[in-house]
Amino acid sequence: MGSRTEILAKIKTNKPNLIETPIIEPQVFDEGLNLIEEFTKKVEAVGGQVVPITYEMDIHTEIKTLFPDTALNFSTLEKAISFNTLSLDNIEKPQELEDLDVLVLESPLGVAENGAVWVNDTSFPIRVLPFITKHLVLVLGKNDIVPYMHQAYDTLNDFNFGVFISGPSKTADIEQSLVIGAHGALSLTILLKND
Amino acid sequence: MSHPKLASLFNQNEARVDWHDKALWFVRHKRDLATHQVKGWEALRDLGHHIKAHTLSNLDNYLIEFEKNALENGIQVHWAANGDEHNKIVHQILEENQAKKIVKSKSMLTEECHLNPFLEAKAIEVIDTDLGERIVQLAKEPPSHIVLPAIHKNRHEVDALFQEHLNTQPCDGDPQYLTHEARKHLREKFIKADAAITGVNFAIAETGGFVVCTNEGNADMGAHIAPVHIACMGIEKLIPKQEHLGVFLRLLARSATGQPITTYSSHFKRPAKGHKMHIVIVDNGRSEQLGRPDFRASLHCIRCGACMNTCPIYRRSGGHSYDATIPGPIGSILSPGKDLTKHSSLPFASTLCGSCSDVCPVKIDIHSQLYKWRQIITQNTKQPFIKKKSMVFMGKLFTKPTQFARIGKIARWSLRYLPKSIINARPNIWGKSRDLPNGPKQSFDEWYKERTKK
Ligand code: SF4
Repeated sequence: MGSRTEILAKIKTNKPNLIETPIIEPQVFDEGLNLIEEFTKKVEAVGGQVVPITYEMDIHTEIKTLFPDTALNFSTLEKAISFNTLSLDNIEKPQELEDLDVLVLESPLGVAENGAVWVNDTSFPIRVLPFITKHLVLVLGKNDIVPYMHQAYDTLNDFNFGVFISGPSKTADIEQSLVIGAHGALSLTILLKND
Repeated sequence: MSHPKLASLFNQNEARVDWHDKALWFVRHKRDLATHQVKGWEALRDLGHHIKAHTLSNLDNYLIEFEKNALENGIQVHWAANGDEHNKIVHQILEENQAKKIVKSKSMLTEECHLNPFLEAKAIEVIDTDLGERIVQLAKEPPSHIVLPAIHKNRHEVDALFQEHLNTQPCDGDPQYLTHEARKHLREKFIKADAAITGVNFAIAETGGFVVCTNEGNADMGAHIAPVHIACMGIEKLIPKQEHLGVFLRLLARSATGQPITTYSSHFKRPAKGHKMHIVIVDNGRSEQLGRPDFRASLHCIRCGACMNTCPIYRRSGGHSYDATIPGPIGSILSPGKDLTKHSSLPFASTLCGSCSDVCPVKIDIHSQLYKWRQIITQNTKQPFIKKKSMVFMGKLFTKPTQFARIGKIARWSLRYLPKSIINARPNIWGKSRDLPNGPKQSFDEWYKERTKK
């Protein structure tokens, strides 16, 4: 517990009179974006790629053509038996995922203004998966793109852990030169589903 | 040492100053491009400002609400009045879990509390995992910027450091190679870590969860692999509702680096099965700052670094010249609240141009607060003899128009006719590394009178 009482008492004495909460009016920011166009532009700007797919295509076959020679693949989508070369049942510690090459996850939400895609741990059983994998593939429906973060938060309800991912991991800590592939995924591919 | 003294050390290497200045201006420029693309950017800043102001006015209740929800989520909550208590709490958690190897992602708060030396003295290994922070950690230096910790180092220095500590090959400072080597080196640390420490960008009262933003993915690699996650936050990191994240995540990365959002914005709410999650809520002088009406708004800060990138003084004096955990304009209004004497030179490290206030995503009136600190400092700390005397002299002079006009005439004449060696002689610090303008023939007063006569 530590100094809880003392800190709260001090804040109570020192805080100003109550100031009202401002109201967020998302229409103020609305530019009438073409969602798919803007989303694609932003994903590319942050170093990711968008690949459109149609419903008759087999997702895992498409991914295989994108990443032909990878050893350890794991997908949480349906019909992944022939794609998956790794079984999570044998994983006891997150460390054991270190050599994962390709991870495929389904996402319920993308944001046009910044190319961010939401995933939460109801769709992946071990939290480190989307970070430890070398290549991350996210499958998103075209109709699941919202314009701004304001609309995105309207749809996010219950999750234990969730993350907005915008592009592959990166750093510019050495003389401001951008390097893709810091600690997280080295590449990010978004399969945009026409549903 | 005072800011001017440390700044003059940095200025001994003129080429480095130029390079540092340009590197930061480049980041400032990226920020401009990103913010100009957002419709309603000013309205967004207003929202950021007012949400923070509202939160501070009800902070105790929001903290109680946050604690209740976090506990229900299965997160353990701790409270620390100061840095020392914070360090002890963290150490105790580590001890209870027999944790000896720690990975840490960027957290200015743990810098502020000097957590690393505290833990190292107890034989605990602490590895900073943000690349920039790892670089300064290897160099045994503090970060010089809150978003770009190693901005003062060039690629060749990083190359040399890595050769010495990570056994890398000489690479003529190739950032790609160096980053890749750092990834390998830190991957090993992540895999073997017993516990992970992260900062907190935003904590949400309504949900009891918190958000951590990184580009590298280092916070997540640490927190999801190690069995224990300790998140350290200042009391001012709180926001009331999840919907407020929409405002702050739109503001933060654009202001910091010109990205539309950071690569990872991770929302932690409940610990994973078999993992433990702790939050340490730290005051360390913040509640006191809350009680200073003139300086209260400094607690709005979301640590984007934009005020540093834009500041003409910061860019030319370097982050280390501030000798404070948070450098730059925002640091100069936070630090005097902690130690007025030690940091008395900081509010003077400004031209009061106001650029910091213009770029601040939460509209802190930084330059007005710098000005206000100057008033307090001049009254409360000893001023140099010459400055004191000249202020009294100038004060008197301004009350006597005829005398003022006469002295003005002499000064203008001197600027025109006296040799530089006299004008720029030692007592005139304004003549240090710059020439004063040629004295005009007329004073403004004379010019104005003549003009109205016509
Ligand atoms: S004071 Fe404003 S501009 Fe400076 S770091 Fe804080 S939020 Fe950013």
